[in-house]
This record gives sequence, structure tokens and C-alpha cells, in this order.
Amino acid sequence: MPVVLGTLLALISVAVIAYPFFGSKRYRMVSERFITRELSRAERLRIYRKISDIDADFTSGDLTEADYQQQRDMLRVSAAEILRQESGASSSNSARDEELEKEISRLREQSAQPPEGGDPLR
Amino acid sequence: MADLGVMALLLGLALSAYSAVGSIIGEKRGMAELVVSARRALYMTTLAAAVASGALINAFVQNDFSIKYVADHSNTLMDRAFVWVAFYAGNEGSLLYILLTLSIITALSVWFAPKRLARSMPWTIAILAVIQLFYFGVLAFVASPFELLGTVPGDGRGINPLLTHPGMFSHPPLLMGGLIAITIPFAFVSGAMIAGNYGDDWIDVARVSAIISWGVLGTGMLLGAWWAYTILGWGGYWAWDPIENVALMPWLVMTAFIHSVMVQKRRGMFRMWNVALLNIAFVLAQLGMFINRGGPVVSVHSFAASTLGVIFLIFMLASLVFAFALFLWRMPEMKSDRAMESFISREASFLINNFLFLSVMAVTLWGVLFPLFSDLARDVSVSVSAPYFDRANGPVLLGIVIMMGIGPLLPWRKSSARSLKQWFMWPTLVGVLTIVVLVALGVQRPVAILAFGVVAFVATAISEEWWRGTAARHQAGDNWLLAWWRLVNGNRPRHGGYIVHISILMLGLGIIGTNFYQQRTDGALSLGESLVIDNYRIEYVGNGDESRRDRIAQWAEMSVYRIDTNDYSTEIAVARDEGLSGFTLENSEVRPNDELIAQIQPWHGFYPDFNMASVRSGIRSTIVEDLYVIPRDFLADGRISLAVSINPLAWWLWASGPFFILGTMVALWPQSSVERRSKHQKVPAAPDDNEGEL
Repeated sequence: MPVVLGTLLALISVAVIAYPFFGSKRYRMVSERFITRELSRAERLRIYRKISDIDADFTSGDLTEADYQQQRDMLRVSAAEILRQESGASSSNSARDEELEKEISRLREQSAQPPEGGDPLR
Repeated sequence: MADLGVMALLLGLALSAYSAVGSIIGEKRGMAELVVSARRALYMTTLAAAVASGALINAFVQNDFSIKYVADHSNTLMDRAFVWVAFYAGNEGSLLYILLTLSIITALSVWFAPKRLARSMPWTIAILAVIQLFYFGVLAFVASPFELLGTVPGDGRGINPLLTHPGMFSHPPLLMGGLIAITIPFAFVSGAMIAGNYGDDWIDVARVSAIISWGVLGTGMLLGAWWAYTILGWGGYWAWDPIENVALMPWLVMTAFIHSVMVQKRRGMFRMWNVALLNIAFVLAQLGMFINRGGPVVSVHSFAASTLGVIFLIFMLASLVFAFALFLWRMPEMKSDRAMESFISREASFLINNFLFLSVMAVTLWGVLFPLFSDLARDVSVSVSAPYFDRANGPVLLGIVIMMGIGPLLPWRKSSARSLKQWFMWPTLVGVLTIVVLVALGVQRPVAILAFGVVAFVATAISEEWWRGTAARHQAGDNWLLAWWRLVNGNRPRHGGYIVHISILMLGLGIIGTNFYQQRTDGALSLGESLVIDNYRIEYVGNGDESRRDRIAQWAEMSVYRIDTNDYSTEIAVARDEGLSGFTLENSEVRPNDELIAQIQPWHGFYPDFNMASVRSGIRSTIVEDLYVIPRDFLADGRISLAVSINPLAWWLWASGPFFILGTMVALWPQSSVERRSKHQKVPAAPDDNEGEL
């Protein structure tokens, strides 16, 4: 019995690893374009997260207003640039700005931040 | 079942080899089918490891003593619940357990790996497959748990009595699992380095997998301390034993990593440093395996010396060469995005805390390896003991706790004198006040008083952080509870970290209390006699015994009274004159203010087959202190020989565990649904969006 089970296990393994060669599904190595798009999306999400973090830091008084505005502007510009690259020429500046604002608002809503420029405790 | 186990191990070996080679060739030659097939082979190794483990567990359940490992680690008397413990009670079984854990977490991490790592995944898979290949190879050819005996015994030897403790169901699996789980972040980062992904693409996977391994390892160490406290019968919980140290060292390095990775995420700095930390942690984990598997350093925990030690030494050295050759190769491309602007900033505080963690690691490593060096230099193996570690590491550990308070109060980039004054005022005041109050109350031991002050400083710093954030949200209209919840929810990694910091403070309280203020006394009592220590009287009121085929067990029934020391002033004065911290009373009459507070049952067992004694201390635990009674021996004249101690604040050691786990879970919980939402947002698709399974 153990030998039968062992042989069955081996056969299943061979079938699973051989399937990509003989199955109907075709595979391709990932293209540079695909990777670039995935990386760009990940970078954009990281920037949204950073914006959310500095919003929280500013609210808690961890950042001065000048630093906060400077960092936030830089991050927004970076995010807008990535969005521009992601969407190519197909969307307008206002559409990108709208998209950016929407994401930032979602983040703010999620962590229930007070409105921009909220009064930090000092 | 042994045949099935052996077949599964050989199959796993072949699958791992195929996965490693297939991944590399497939990637180099652009053969997508081969890369997919190699990944599937890696998944199948999990099934092979599971079948081998199932075969061994089944052999325990069936009492199949034809298998040497089963005969060595169980018998027909063993409680069936301990089959799980017996599975990893010996060298071979524990290696199989490690392989099973590794294959499961490998499959999960590869399955859930983000698509953006597609280019580096074949390399990551190859690294993971090579590590699995090593374990399959060792189990198949060097340390097989399925070795058969020529003559089948009627019964087995039984499980090691020290392992028959509830803590053993979770302590060894967590410890071994935590150590082997360090492989995952290491493999992902190394794969990214080989593929030339120098940026921060690997950071999220590395951070999450690092926190998981760190949390599991930390929980395992804490459970080990609890096990030692309750069963080993020496009254302590951490002995700086080499095996404890080899678990602690990678944990310290991973702690440094999960702090400095925040700087990389937030500021794009420390990239090179973080890669180096993961390399060090992985190599230290391999060092732990080497020492535990018959390495040259003597430990009460390690398995018997064997050829395995040499094999693990070679694997550790190979890991070291690979990790650091790769690091040096890719170092020029891993520069930080920006430089540090000020040394009074959060990133600088993280850097300092990293150096402190690495200092403790280096001191500990030196202590672990010193017997080897002394043996090489003078032909005499000299081991270092707890005082060396306490003296060398104690002040640095206190420094780490201080940094736990300072770091969160500092802003990123730089800070102003005004803000420093504002943020540090309350924590410093409370810390200093704590010291003043303790001195005024006549508390002894300056170092401990300073440590209590530091704990108060850090606790206030965390409270202040939470207060500031909560108050800001409260001003925006939330009620206090909701405001605090939203604060934590808004940045889980940060606030999860604070919860872990609280657990470390609780641990600190326990360590200070038990190390600086412990009282101990010894005595031998006849029935009806009492032992008095501090404001406790322990009366020996009864006993029992049980003789089984595998053990001779004896226990004592004891009544614990809280006493008014004024009722015993004469005896206490005599004991003080003799320099004793406790004394025995032949007459156990209850005095006016004696209050019965507990019944305890210290237990002592002797296992002839193992020539080993095992004890269960009688413990009466409160938030303030533990009364801890160790039954040393039941003497021939009917007396019981006892060691009794009062361990102040010991309760806090174990109470820190749930907070540690909670904080780790909070820090790990997916930060937001932004990513999920973003996947569905309308960014126009590129024409070749469909890339198949890759």
C-alpha cells in the first residue's frame, strides 16, 4: 500500500509539472512593458501611502506646516507624473488631477483625517 | 509507512532539484513553460514534505516501533496528545518539521508574490528550491527519520520527560519555524538583487515576511522562557545558553531590519543596510541550525554531536559566501535616494537603535563562539556564562529601551529645539519623577531604579504620541475611543509597533524585578513544618506518590499563608542575624494574622530510562510577585528538600506575550484597501495586457 501511494504521488507530481508543456494554455515571459506598468502602479500606491502618512504626521504635530506643504506638493507632483505615464496621452490634465484627488480623499477618509490644513497640536 | 516516507523524501529531493535548475534555465533562455513548470515543482515539494511528515506521525500513532525514530521517542505509555511533540522531539524529526514548515511558507510566499516581482521570481524560486534541496537531501541520506531497526522492540524508549509540558506543543515549532522563515525575506531580496531590481520593489514582501518570522521567533523564545521557568526547576527563565543565543541573535538583527525598513519605505534610505541586515539574519539562522545539529558548542538543548554538524557548517559557510558575494556585486547600484539631513531625526534614531541591536548581537555571538576560539588558541574550551552576557549586554539593552522612547518623538528629516522641548518635556518629567519617588520610598539598587525611570519615560512617550494623535482627531469631531481607533487604524505598522513596545516594557519590568529583587532560601521540611520567607509561610501538609513503568513521581501538598511579619519578629530577627533570607518552623500553628491564600502542589518525577529528573514548580503568581517553590528532592527520612524564591514582577514577563502578538498582528494587518481599489481603477490598459500565468 505505501508503495502504491508513493507511486501515485510521483505520478501526480509529474503530471503537475509537465502540464505547462502539454496543456492548452500558452505562456509568455513577462515583457518589460508589463513590469514597468506594475512597478509604476506600485510606486504610485507607495506615494499615496506616503501622502497619508505625512497627513497623519502633520495632524499629530510631527511635521511643521512648511515641511508638510513642501513634502505633500512634491509627492503630489510625483503621483501626477506617474499617473500621466500610466494613462499615456489618453486622459487630460484635469482628469488626472481628479483621479489623484480622489485617491487622496479616499486615504484621508479611511484614516479620518481632519480637512487639509487642520490645526495641529502645538 | 516508512517506505512511503522515504519515497516522499526522494521525490521532494528530485522536485527541488528540478525546480532550482528549471527556474534558472527557463529564465536565462526565456522558456516560459519551463519557468512555470519549475514553480509548480516547488509547490509539489510541499505535498512531498507533508506526505513524509504524515507518514512519520502515522507511525507514532500506530506505535510502529520498527522505525528507529519512533522507538527512540515514544512508547505505548505516551499520552497520544504528545505524538505532535514526539514528531519533532529528536534530530531527524525536527529536521522534517523544519522542512515541512519551510515548504509551506515557501509555497504561500511564491503563490502570493506580487506580479511586479515577476522578473526576479525565477531567481527567488531557485534560491528557495536549493534550500529545500539541502533539507530533503539531509533527510533522505544522512538523518532519515524512517531508518528501520533490525529487531523490532516490544515497546519504545518513550518521550523525553522534559518535553511533556504544554509549552512544548508550541515553543519548539515556533522557534524552529521562526528561524527557518527568515529564508523567505532573504530569498526574495536575493532574487531581486540577482535580477537587478535594486529599487524598493521587494520591500513590502520582505517587510511582511520578516515581521512574520520575527513575531513567530519572538513568541517561540518567550514560550521557551515560560517552559524553562515552570519545568526546569532552576527558578530562572533565560540562561544565555548557546541555543537560546542562536535564536536571539537573528531575532535582534530582524528587529533592527523591521525598524530600518521603515526608513527605506518612507525616505528611500538605508537600502544597502537593509539588504545587509537580511543577509546577516539568514546566516545567523544557519549558524543556529549548525550549533543545534551537533555543532561544537555545548548546550543543554542541542542534539547529540554527529556528522550533521559538519554538513550544516558547510551549508552555513556556503550561505555566507553567496549572500555577501551577491551583496558586494550589487552594492554600487543600491545607493540611497537621499542623505540624512540631521542627526536629530527619526531616521537617525533608527540608525542608532540598529547599531545597538547589532552590538548586542555581536557581544552575544562572541560569547557563543568564545569556547571555540579558546579551544583553537589554548587547546582549552572556556565557556562564558550569564554574568558576561548580563554585564556586556545589560547597559546596551537599556540603551535600546531608551531609544524606544526617543525615536517615536523625533520627526522625520530634522527637528527644532522648540519641538524637542515640547515633545520630551512630559516623558522626561515622568521618568525623573519615577526615580525620585522610588528613591524616596527607600527602594534599593540604583541600576534598577534607573531602569524603572527609563520604562516610565518610554511609557509616557508612547502615551503622549497616542494622546496627541487622538486629541487631533477628537477636535475633528470623533469621540475619544473612535479617535484613538482611527489613529491606530490610519497607520497600523507604526501603532502596532507601539503595542509591541509596550510589551517590551512589560518584559523589562519582569526582567528588572526578577534580576534585581529576587529573594531565595532553601530548606528541608518534615510534614507539619513550615518555611517562612518575606511575608509568606509555606506549610508542608501532605504528599503523594505514583509509580509507573516509565517514572516514579512524588508531590507535596502545601498551604501558603500571607503573614504579618510582626507575628514572627523574634524568628525574623534571629534569621537576619545569621544572614538568612528565610527560616523553618517546626511548629506550624496558625498565628493571629496568618491568612491562607493558596494551595500549591510542587511535583517531582524521576525517569529511570532517561536517568533524568523533571519537576513542576509550585507557583503562586500575582501581578506583584511570584512565590516559586522548587521541589529539589524527596528525602529518605520523609522530608522534602525545597528551594523557595520570591520573584517580583515575574507575572509581567508572561503578560507581555499577548501584547507582543497583538502588536505584531496589528503591524502586519494589510494597511489599506487602496491597493485593492486601485487595481480596479480605470487606467487605460496597454495592448499586450495579457501576459499568461507569468
